[in-house]
Amino acid sequence: MTWLAVPRDWLATFGEIVKFAGRVVGDVLRLRVLRFFGEALRQAGVLILSSTLVIWGLIFFIGLTVGIEAAYFNRSVGSPAYAGVFAAWADLRELIPYAFGYMMAAKVGTGIVAELGSMRISDEIDALEVMGISSIVFLCATRLAAAWLVLPFMYLAGIGAGFFASYLAVVQQIGEVSSGGYFLTFWMFQNPTDLLYSVIKGMTMATAIVLVGCYYGYNAGGGPVGVGTATAKSMVLNIVLVHLIGMIGTQLFWGANPRAPIGG
Amino acid sequence: MQFSDRHRGEGTPTEPDRGGHDHEGEQEAYEQRDAPAPPAEEPTREEPAREEPAPDEPREADATESGSTIQKPFAAAVMREPGQADGYEAEKLRGAHAREERARSMAPPGGDVNDEYRWHTGTNRPTGVPDAVEFVEVHKAFGRNKILRGLNMGIPEGKISMILGPSGTGKSVCIKHMVGLLYPDDGDVLVHGESVPNMRDDELFAMRKKFGVLFQDGALFGSMNLFDNVCFPLRQHTDKAEEEIQDIVARRLREVGLEGAHDKYPNELSGGMRKRAGFARALVLDPDIVLFDEPDSGLDPVRTALLCELIQEIHEENGGAYVVITHDIMSAKRVAEHISVLWKGRIVESGPAEELFNSDNMFVRQFLSGASRGPLGME
Repeated sequence: MTWLAVPRDWLATFGEIVKFAGRVVGDVLRLRVLRFFGEALRQAGVLILSSTLVIWGLIFFIGLTVGIEAAYFNRSVGSPAYAGVFAAWADLRELIPYAFGYMMAAKVGTGIVAELGSMRISDEIDALEVMGISSIVFLCATRLAAAWLVLPFMYLAGIGAGFFASYLAVVQQIGEVSSGGYFLTFWMFQNPTDLLYSVIKGMTMATAIVLVGCYYGYNAGGGPVGVGTATAKSMVLNIVLVHLIGMIGTQLFWGANPRAPIGG
Repeated sequence: MQFSDRHRGEGTPTEPDRGGHDHEGEQEAYEQRDAPAPPAEEPTREEPAREEPAPDEPREADATESGSTIQKPFAAAVMREPGQADGYEAEKLRGAHAREERARSMAPPGGDVNDEYRWHTGTNRPTGVPDAVEFVEVHKAFGRNKILRGLNMGIPEGKISMILGPSGTGKSVCIKHMVGLLYPDDGDVLVHGESVPNMRDDELFAMRKKFGVLFQDGALFGSMNLFDNVCFPLRQHTDKAEEEIQDIVARRLREVGLEGAHDKYPNELSGGMRKRAGFARALVLDPDIVLFDEPDSGLDPVRTALLCELIQEIHEENGGAYVVITHDIMSAKRVAEHISVLWKGRIVESGPAEELFNSDNMFVRQFLSGASRGPLGME
């Protein structure tokens, strides 16, 4: 039954990740992380300085793309004034969370794996432990706390960047609808609850990415090659998780109810 | 520091005089250690204890019980009074070459050439001081690779101990067991009498504050400069004012000769500087037990000698149990007060350094003389 070995390994790894993630989340929720609040703030600073622009940049490009597609699709069905509907739904509900997740996985997730992995192979994590410091709290819980502190604001600002880009494409570039007409439908087809759901989607993705990054980095082994392998594995898992969370979020939040001022 | 203070200064009559840094005297001592086995009429101190083990010597009893069936006869053979050896044999023992010849010609003590533990007497020569760290029948395997296989070892309080042995024999694994980074599959590790594997997390973290560890490459945090690296344990574990912390750290960095490198990051330092910085960080909380994982690896002979001197100086100043893991015999000759020779996951022999350097055990002799011929091959 050797063919069972592979799924069994996957299941075992998944179980390990869940156990590890539970411990890290528990350390944050039980406020043990406050013992290293300075480190959490430092990590927040690192996150802001190193990842903000690139995340906003990607979301901006996605917003431009959505705007162009929205304008031409709505023209093709004879309703160019309703381009705002397409942009509102595609941006807020799907593409901004995905773009955020992709860049988080590529920039933040792999960065965490590489950093913690190199600390592991150079005995820095062991050094922390023998100093009587819980390395999971110091290295992982602080990163999760930093993510939770910073990313909601970064995500909200990212939504702004995406909306602005779609507006530029639909109104300023294609120009088949006025600014007022665009915003009328754009705001009509979304409300604060949708924004909240979108933030929940994005933050769930971010949390998963940080935890997966911490797991693979913290448990890296086998020298520099091992760290590289761990980085690749974390990227694969994170991309899968981003889509899984995206799909589950859409089903959960909008699957049974489009939350739109339309009949049916 | 209470524990080590309690036992400090309880040296045995066998403890060498380590005061000062008289290099001529030191050299003389090394020559004596290198010298051939003592003449047949010269008595050795530990013989009576070997013949009739006292009831209060549990370690030796443990070793004998745990060892293979050939241990008893071999222990008796190697601990034979030199006076009982015939004249020809005693003559041949003079000089390293003769020792190698004897190793080649010597029949395995248990008579079984295939017994991989035929050289492991497990002899633990008494030091006269209590053990700071004890390994009791410790087994540890990584997958199918058995690293520790019934290890019984004691690290005496207040001395510089060395764990010597061939590469891949489990020396670094020992260090990780002492500080609870690894747990034994079987057996127990005691630090000041408390079982490490049975500690709860908070007890373990508290216990680890007794330790300072110098890792092979220093293990400095890459995100911090040198000064902050050394400050780190003080900032985390004490309520000292920042000014006081800076004074302590500046003093420690001065002791290890890094007073001008406060702002440098680990990647800007040489290997030797990283080791010295790691040493300063390991000492900054005045630990009771300091562990050095191959402090001489990657260092040139002069830097190695200087680092060894530094270890001795700091030990004289601070006391405590120092454990140095190495396979560098020169380092052992320089600083060791107590030696444990580890091979294939068990202790071959352990005891005061000068006694180990004069051991009759062929493996110990080969290893401590760095001879190419003897029980240890390339396998």
